[in-house]
Amino acid sequence: MKGIVKGLGVTFKNITKKKVTYAYPDVPMNMPDRFRGVQHFEPDKCIVCNQCARVCPTDCITLVGKQDPNSEKKVKIIDTYDINFEICILCDLCTEVCPTEAIVMTNNFELATYSRDDLFKDLHWLENNNTLVRSENSTNLQPKAKPKPKPKATKEEGVK
Amino acid sequence: MSIRTEELLVNVGPQHPSTHGVFRLVVKLDGEVITEATPVIGYLHRGTEKLAENLSYTQIIPYTDRMDYLSAMTNNYVLCHAVETLMKLEIPEKAEYLRVIVMELNRVASHLVWWGTYLLDIGAMSPFLYAFRDREKIVELFNELCGARLTYFYMRVGGVKWDAPPGWIDKVKEFIPYMRKQIEEYEKLVTGNEIFLSRVKDIGKYDSQTAINYGLSGVNLRSTGIDWDLRKQEPYSLYEQFDFDVPTSTDGDCFARYRLRIEEMKQSLSIVEQAVAQFPEEGKIMAKVPRVIRPPAGEVYSRIESPRGEIGCHIVSKGKAEPYRLKFRRPSFVNLQILPELLIGETMTNLVTIFGGIDIVLGEVDC
Amino acid sequence: MDNMIEQLSIGSVSLVTLATAALLLIVLVFVTYGIYFERKVIGWIQLRQGPNRTGPFGLLQTVADVFKLLIKEDTIPNNADKTVFKLGPIISFIPAFVVLAVIPYTENLYFANLNVGLLYYVALSGISTIGILMGGWASNNKYALLGGMRSVAQMISYEIPLVISMVGVILMTGSLNMIQIVEGQAGGFWSWNIFPQIVAFGIFIIAAVAELNRTPFDLPEAESELIAGYHVEYSGFRFAFYMLSEYVYIYAIAGLTTVLFLGGWHAPFAFLSFIPGLIWFIIKFCSIVFFLFWIRATMPRLRVDHLMGLGWKVLLPLSLVNIFVTAIVLELLK
Repeated sequence: MKGIVKGLGVTFKNITKKKVTYAYPDVPMNMPDRFRGVQHFEPDKCIVCNQCARVCPTDCITLVGKQDPNSEKKVKIIDTYDINFEICILCDLCTEVCPTEAIVMTNNFELATYSRDDLFKDLHWLENNNTLVRSENSTNLQPKAKPKPKPKATKEEGVK
Repeated sequence: MSIRTEELLVNVGPQHPSTHGVFRLVVKLDGEVITEATPVIGYLHRGTEKLAENLSYTQIIPYTDRMDYLSAMTNNYVLCHAVETLMKLEIPEKAEYLRVIVMELNRVASHLVWWGTYLLDIGAMSPFLYAFRDREKIVELFNELCGARLTYFYMRVGGVKWDAPPGWIDKVKEFIPYMRKQIEEYEKLVTGNEIFLSRVKDIGKYDSQTAINYGLSGVNLRSTGIDWDLRKQEPYSLYEQFDFDVPTSTDGDCFARYRLRIEEMKQSLSIVEQAVAQFPEEGKIMAKVPRVIRPPAGEVYSRIESPRGEIGCHIVSKGKAEPYRLKFRRPSFVNLQILPELLIGETMTNLVTIFGGIDIVLGEVDC
Repeated sequence: MDNMIEQLSIGSVSLVTLATAALLLIVLVFVTYGIYFERKVIGWIQLRQGPNRTGPFGLLQTVADVFKLLIKEDTIPNNADKTVFKLGPIISFIPAFVVLAVIPYTENLYFANLNVGLLYYVALSGISTIGILMGGWASNNKYALLGGMRSVAQMISYEIPLVISMVGVILMTGSLNMIQIVEGQAGGFWSWNIFPQIVAFGIFIIAAVAELNRTPFDLPEAESELIAGYHVEYSGFRFAFYMLSEYVYIYAIAGLTTVLFLGGWHAPFAFLSFIPGLIWFIIKFCSIVFFLFWIRATMPRLRVDHLMGLGWKVLLPLSLVNIFVTAIVLELLK
């Protein structure tokens, strides 16, 4: 009986304690800066090096580059860039390898939709997803002075 | 006239509140007494080991997060540790400290989930909420450290991804006394409760020989009196430096396993306390590792103590960037094998108690 | 019985119907806000808010829930015994409501003043068990069957100590009439039955919680073992009826405990008797309801065999001893 009475005491004491629940949909959740949310993509920075697509463990990134029309040299710019959030595990590897921080993490995490098709996010969506961008991203940054696009970027995408 | 009786075949799961995931147990009932139990697993099988053969070592790490999703840190570690052993890497001290801190905090979090859900199985609602309130604090710490709440992907071959953010160590320091107080409250709420005791004492008993025969590890083994904790027996990382006990019991019943998990939480907290006290402010968090990790050809088996028991990783490397074969020894899977034997002759009620007491994670069983 | 016939002849039939409808309304309001209160209290204990989305402070949550249940599709499993399946909830609910007739709220506010009121209560409340067994059996579901069986075993085992523990109170008052039982407890809280009959009170509370199928005795519907027990196949308004009868029984048991042990409408101190009796009744009633919720938030569930052991080996002998001791003491004091 003693144990039961003690237990009753503990639960009774908790009635007046402060509630610990979040008022989430009413009050937005603020995630810490390092939070791995949905990626933000900046097409201007991308050098079509394909590293993100190659490092992705689930092959959820598809990208296609094209010849830069403003350049005489063989410079690639991004044409399409899609992330399939049905299979993306938000592991952070794409942002980690990106040499120009073209793809970065944001703290946004609300991806729920009514259709699976909506989870296929294209370049424009990712470009517009530009709020709450994470401050530390790539560990693979190139020296800013001369971004050197790699010639082998034309390799078919999604291959490790 | 004799009454015709027949055995009742009941499907417990794959959707059942106390199978903790998608586990199916086909039980034959004579009245309420179980005469036969057949576990059916594989509903959550994702073929991690096969997938790993086509992935680089860094890419495998997020897959390990999803095996034992309650203690992703230990899973991260076992893979990194195996690769590091193969490559004979020297890990910076600061990285090791961070690893120990997060692994032990993760152990506490994992045991908290176990504690809450176990009490929920037994029929008490509030402990579940209390446990999750305190686990939330650990999860928040992890979120701040590595940016995820469940699938941390914090460790890398050669170190850890992130250094502790400013003030993080202090938050851990504050958390330890708080958690100690909470554990005291848990014990007050549950451990002395007579109804709880009558539910778990002398239930699911087995002796040390059976435990060894089934290859049990972790708390399931230590509850039979065998002092086997890989943190002590084969110290990895920095565990040799820390002063902690390995609680054992000789009862071998569900209550012993309950007590040991509570004790382990306290011990883990004391390890974290020592680790944050000695934590080096300066230092690197990554060893010098080549961009593409290509361990030399060879085999390695590394094993560590996860919250559920011995988790092992066997890598066969042919010197390529992908492993030739990768095998995880998952403690939940091994520990589950004893279940059919324990269940025979027990009632439906004890099924839940015994099954919960083993503490499995379905992501790890099916892998 | 004279009393009742007299009443029937005085009051017109329409008045009786009106009063019954009023009682039904009161009970429904109680059930609605009893569930709301339960969820709130358990929420607070578990550091949550409880329902707070529907209506101000979530006050309309139960209304919404019940409405949802009422507009749900009425499903009956294919292999179920359809007649029994439909009858189960009705048989379970009717006695729960009918027993309320004998509970007196104040010396003037009651519905039936039977001189065998307690017997009436006990006899009718036993019928509910049959409804639960019918539901469990007719569903043709293994979990439901196990739940129904457990429920019958449990309710039969606990009905006996429940009744026998009341005998002590009956001995003290010398009447089965509830109003007389309350009148016997007049004059300060020390003359309430809870003190001379503390053993009976303990047995009564334990057995009553078991009768109500509530934690820690909620084995028939143990959600972690039997999913939901006897009502696993029920949905829509049939399920609502089972839930309703469960909460109406909480009302009945809380009322009965107040009447039998806590002095009904009497104030605990003479100087507090300016507060109307009905308020005192409600206060006592609510604290018992709260106690039930509080227990639910704290306790784990008992095991079937322990439950039976407790009922037959502890509570039954204890309640029998209580009768003898009460009788002997009463005889000596005479």
